[in-house]
Amino acid sequence: MASIGRRGFVKGATAGALAFVVGGVEVIMAAHEARARGVPFRLLDAHQGETLEALGETLVPQAREAGIAHFIDQQLSVPPGESLLQARIFSFRPPFAEFYRAAIVAVDAGSNRMSGRDFAQLTTGDQRAFVNLMRQNKVEGWTGRPGAQVYAVLRADAVDVVYGTMEGYEALGIPYMPHIPPEKRW
Amino acid sequence: MTNEKVDVVIVGAGASGSVYASVLAKAGKKVVLLETGPDWELTDLISSEIWGRRVKPAGAPVLLEGKNPMTYSAQGGWGVGGAALHYFANFPRLLPTDFRMKSEHDRGSDWPIAYEDVAPFYDKVARDTGVSGDAKAEEKWRPAGEAYPMPPMKTFRNGDIWLKGFEANGIRMVPAPVGMNSVEYQGRPACLYDGWCHVGCPIGALANPQVTYLGNARSAGAEVRALSTVTRVLTNPAGTRVTGVEYYDDKHQKQVQEASVVVLAAWSAQNPRLLLNSATDKHAKGLGNASGLVGKFMMSHHVASTWGMFDEDVQNHMGTIAVQYMSYEHYPKTSHATAFGSSFVTAGFAVKTTDLANSRADLFGPELADYMKRAARNLAGIKTFGEEQPRMENRVELVSDKDEFGMPLGKLTHTYDEDAVALWNANLEQGLKVAKAAGAKESWSARGSIPTSHLMGGTIMGTGAANSVVDSYGQSHEIPNLWVAGPSIFPTAGASNPTFTIFALSQRGAERMASQWGTLTN
Repeated sequence: MASIGRRGFVKGATAGALAFVVGGVEVIMAAHEARARGVPFRLLDAHQGETLEALGETLVPQAREAGIAHFIDQQLSVPPGESLLQARIFSFRPPFAEFYRAAIVAVDAGSNRMSGRDFAQLTTGDQRAFVNLMRQNKVEGWTGRPGAQVYAVLRADAVDVVYGTMEGYEALGIPYMPHIPPEKRW
Repeated sequence: MTNEKVDVVIVGAGASGSVYASVLAKAGKKVVLLETGPDWELTDLISSEIWGRRVKPAGAPVLLEGKNPMTYSAQGGWGVGGAALHYFANFPRLLPTDFRMKSEHDRGSDWPIAYEDVAPFYDKVARDTGVSGDAKAEEKWRPAGEAYPMPPMKTFRNGDIWLKGFEANGIRMVPAPVGMNSVEYQGRPACLYDGWCHVGCPIGALANPQVTYLGNARSAGAEVRALSTVTRVLTNPAGTRVTGVEYYDDKHQKQVQEASVVVLAAWSAQNPRLLLNSATDKHAKGLGNASGLVGKFMMSHHVASTWGMFDEDVQNHMGTIAVQYMSYEHYPKTSHATAFGSSFVTAGFAVKTTDLANSRADLFGPELADYMKRAARNLAGIKTFGEEQPRMENRVELVSDKDEFGMPLGKLTHTYDEDAVALWNANLEQGLKVAKAAGAKESWSARGSIPTSHLMGGTIMGTGAANSVVDSYGQSHEIPNLWVAGPSIFPTAGASNPTFTIFALSQRGAERMASQWGTLTN
């Protein structure tokens, strides 16, 4: 796995953004900026990124634009002890990438059984219907971690990128009131 | 590499280890703390749910099994200060009945000590760290003690709005005691009430060990070695004494730290793991484990959460993560006709966006977006912590899978029994009645899987090696210079948040160690 040192990590933290690699150079920016600039994924392939964006958007509107796939991808590339992913709170055993890869495979398999297409290719309505079944462990033939757990983790990731930032608080009208603010609003 | 021998090596720089370090360093002992996670500065404590995960558990995972796996990561610690670096700092105490479970109810175990043995240490911890609250108001339920050194914290509408509902249900609420500053105390500032306690308080208003005991310990000469992972406790050839610990340093180099006394203060799941992994030919089942009880009687608190949506803006972004109000009204073990065990009732706490989203975990998509807008203004919650009875089946054991240092991982198996499930349900039903009487327009229980909070047990205290691992001070029954500290020595759980008791028992144990030093080093 790619790795950034603690110094680089802390630099990102105090700058309120993450360390992405652009043209071989480490650049500190927020996940939504990385998506807008088309920063290549470090670990995810294009299909995985597309699927995470579709799942994220289904779970929490605006998660795609907020850079959920870039956030997850960047966080999978740092040592688990420095990870900010919800997988850490769910007490998953590193490497966390295994969870996301397996989840995407399970989602696509279920989606293909139900509708003959990968999840990202479903209509918005079908994506919602699928996620609703997944959260209740009702997708037939599902393998791997329970669908409800996949729902919970990805939903939490999406909540992070949409609502967990200073911009997210502002959108809800909640005063952020930080002791030590994440600069650049995250 | 073998380091110069010290008087005391403490494994873990969290709540209990920091107290031992402070007391013993001030007593003139040469103290080294070994902490598996990083060291933190207060300036590392960024006010962000996302960045706040840096101070949550990492490293070798505990494998979780059972019908109710112990989900520890949101509340657990990582690094110097441990979980207390970012705890909620609710400081209720155990009550006399908790120490007499077997005598009064023929369940679980009696503690080998009484409430009165611990009470002076509650008072001392309150003075030393700073506690805000109204002791007199609590004393309708407990024996009298000293007043808290600071007045209660401010309350906010997200707490006050529940009082009518509690009163209607015959539950008296009083200001909650918390390890936070309502006013400036011992050079630390008063709280700002912006609700970021759970990711660490960088101004020091929250009594985390970095600004209390560890600061004192360092000033007295204690050394803290971060990123140092202990894998074994070492013994002499006869197996009669511990001689130090083996650990891996920040460069992953194997080291030995010799010491006259070893204190394990590494959290309830890790203390048993270390003892079990330190087996020798003289201690084939692990150190201090002649009884076979190391790793047994793991306990948790279940939490019954009730949410209410109110017509008015309840300012739920204001306050602390600690609660504003509490009650021991349902603390007697037989308070509920249909369930056994203590309940600790709380109300009023700040929420962040993660909490808002988790309060309706079933919602997603546009429905979640709509809900978040309403909840941001109108949502408030109450929580009742419930007691779980100790059971042998809830346990920590080693598995063949190993961590990066070659140490077997710990597996924690946890299942609530019928008593716990019944009590959780009774508390949820009570919560809905309170919410209705409080005037909530919508109210609901947080159902689904039963939450687990506050891991306890695993190296329980008792009267002898036949029924326990350590005595009431935390001293091993079998090896006199091996001590264990923290919630792992609790033989029953009560329903009160445990950290105040952890501090108090650690203070008591450390003072005992200092006073008996000559007997430990001979």
